Amino acid sequence: MRKLGILALGAVAALTLAGCATSGGDDASSEGAEIRVWLVGSDTPDEAREYLKTTFEEENPGSTLVIEEQAWEGLVDRLTTSLSGSDSPDVVEIGNTQAAAFTSAGAFLDLTEHYEDLGGDDLLPGFVEAGTYDDKFYAAPLYSGSRLVFYKKDAFAGIGASVPTTLDEYVATGEALAAANPGKSGIWWPGQDWRNALPFIWENGGEIAVPDGEEWDAQLSSPESVAGLTQVQEAMTKASVAPKDANETGPEVGFCDGTTLQLSAPSWVKWSILAPADAEAPGCPDQEANLGVYALPGADGGAAQVMAGGSNIGIAAKSKHPELALSALEIILSDEFQTIYGENGLVPAKLSLADTLGTDEVAQATAEAAGNARLTPASPKWADVEAARILEDLFVNIAQGGDVQALAEEADTQIEDILNG
Amino acid sequence: MTTVDRGPDALPSAIEGERIVAPEPSRGGGDRSKRRRRAGGFTPYALLIPASAVLAAIVGWPLIQLIITSFQEYGRAQVFGAAPEWVWFQNYTDVLTDPVFYEVLARTIVFAAVCVALTMLLGTLIALMMARLPKAFRMLLSVGLLLAWAMPALTATIVWGWMFDTDYGVINHVLVNFFGLEEFFKHPWLIEPLSFFAVAAVIIVWGAVPFVAFTLYAGLTQVPDEVLEAAQLDGAGAFARFRLIVFPYLKPIFLVVAILQIIWDMKVFTQIFALQDIGGIRAETNTLGVYIYQVSIAGGEFGIGGALAMIFALIMMSISVFYIRHLIKEDEQ
Repeated sequence: MRKLGILALGAVAALTLAGCATSGGDDASSEGAEIRVWLVGSDTPDEAREYLKTTFEEENPGSTLVIEEQAWEGLVDRLTTSLSGSDSPDVVEIGNTQAAAFTSAGAFLDLTEHYEDLGGDDLLPGFVEAGTYDDKFYAAPLYSGSRLVFYKKDAFAGIGASVPTTLDEYVATGEALAAANPGKSGIWWPGQDWRNALPFIWENGGEIAVPDGEEWDAQLSSPESVAGLTQVQEAMTKASVAPKDANETGPEVGFCDGTTLQLSAPSWVKWSILAPADAEAPGCPDQEANLGVYALPGADGGAAQVMAGGSNIGIAAKSKHPELALSALEIILSDEFQTIYGENGLVPAKLSLADTLGTDEVAQATAEAAGNARLTPASPKWADVEAARILEDLFVNIAQGGDVQALAEEADTQIEDILNG
Repeated sequence: MTTVDRGPDALPSAIEGERIVAPEPSRGGGDRSKRRRRAGGFTPYALLIPASAVLAAIVGWPLIQLIITSFQEYGRAQVFGAAPEWVWFQNYTDVLTDPVFYEVLARTIVFAAVCVALTMLLGTLIALMMARLPKAFRMLLSVGLLLAWAMPALTATIVWGWMFDTDYGVINHVLVNFFGLEEFFKHPWLIEPLSFFAVAAVIIVWGAVPFVAFTLYAGLTQVPDEVLEAAQLDGAGAFARFRLIVFPYLKPIFLVVAILQIIWDMKVFTQIFALQDIGGIRAETNTLGVYIYQVSIAGGEFGIGGALAMIFALIMMSISVFYIRHLIKEDEQ
């Protein structure tokens, strides 16, 4: 009886509290408001952050804009809890492959009527698609990054290698580098890094999962995919001395201390490598002349089909100041802001700004790789596959030399469970 | 006497909501007047109201929500406002027919058992040592233990994670360069589930030993010296004295501390979760707490996660009941 009494009391108290909480939000004026922008990872250059903050505060006197940097690790979890709570950030960046999980759940504000103002058909089409659900436009493109291969020119010269032109040559070069330099990685490839493995699947004619009527059919154990995965295993076991269970953060550390001779990474990693030696995340600017870069080659030459990494950006449905948030979003999609991305090696959200990438080696490789980029399966549940870390576990097991066919079949079952569940 | 009867009667309610947070306001005091029996009958409950209200709001309400969610199909869309669908016991059936659940449960129990045993053993040994150390060294040891106890679990895990790092970790470095064990060059400590849990156990035991050591040390000071002395004169060795005198004296403390450790180690979350980020294979290293998080928060299956959490809560409650019953029995004696 006492228990029941306490429960009832609690219920009443909580209901009253809840009642208070919901009545407050609506009439909040936009005067002197604070807009919280979540940017993920360190890819957005400081110059762009500074530009966003000052421009916003000039255009909206009295209001302030705070950028809160989030980690990619565990982002889906954090967005699920924070976007649904009363303390939601206003503008949030999200990985393009994760966007569908939130646009389909109604976590973002519908931006369909602002589509033209934000850039219209000039926006990157693949990313507009990623941010659209049920014909409504929820999340705009932010930037696109492509994956590039970085290498040490002196190490290539040491074994007389030239830039590989096919995927097989890429693995062979990595193995040759590792063989000639014991204890060093010819291709630095920590086991959790599955994004770099996707080109191997695609180039061999495999797929992650294909739609089959209403359902999804996972394809990692198809003969084509297994051929790709076997090649991945070869590279991971013979060319890499990276920890078999580590993730791909901090690629510049090994590159700078000399234990990594070659690695495949998002294009902005160039700036991590060339960061000042006394920076918070130190790099090795003295390697600039020695740093070579090329686009990952395909199975039959040309650029490989790599994963179109990148981000979308939307306004939280629970934002208390949607107008101010929209004003911030307009600045983010302005030509000035996006140009800063281009100048820093990220593909801007607008097609018309593609030439801001410049003409150096990285820019050419970026453009080449972006032209052949692909996405993960277009299911709202794909983000759950990422969150469950099925692919991380799969490649950690592959890196340890496990049976590729059996591991791929197991991963297929798990992926289908989630996508069709 | 009625007043005597009421003492033990009011006790369960005082403990029911308590959980080591804060002591309840004491009972109505030494009021023996029969005329005020009615008021006295109400006062304990009135005094319980503030604490109960707080508990109901921060523990009770989420618990009710959890129960409701566990009977619903509740995904990410429902989090953002879609109407949930009632599926009643479907979530529970899904969980209880999933072999992964039993794997995780068994792993959790075995891991907790090992951690509790190690913690109790080391805690006891350190407490015994503290009782014999000269004052200065005892202070030094106490400060060290306190620092370990005060270190947040997340910080501790990250620091330990660095020490066990494959590439740059100090442990591999020392093993290779000082002991010449070449097989530990770039040895991945977290990749094998067994080795992963060994590292996790080190972190958890390291963090939990101070509590056990301090509690038992406090108990040890209460063991009468003359009894020990008499036993010594009778020829009892150190181990016999511990087994036949110290242990029986401290048995209630041992029991309570052990139960608390079981509860804490069963619901371990931070250390495992943070270690999984550093390395290892998630599917093979999940414990219940982490598994619930992964299903519900990361995977967006709040209904299933709710059912998992309810089942877990029932397991934990049955352990807690044992604990509370013991406390009451102690009190009655």
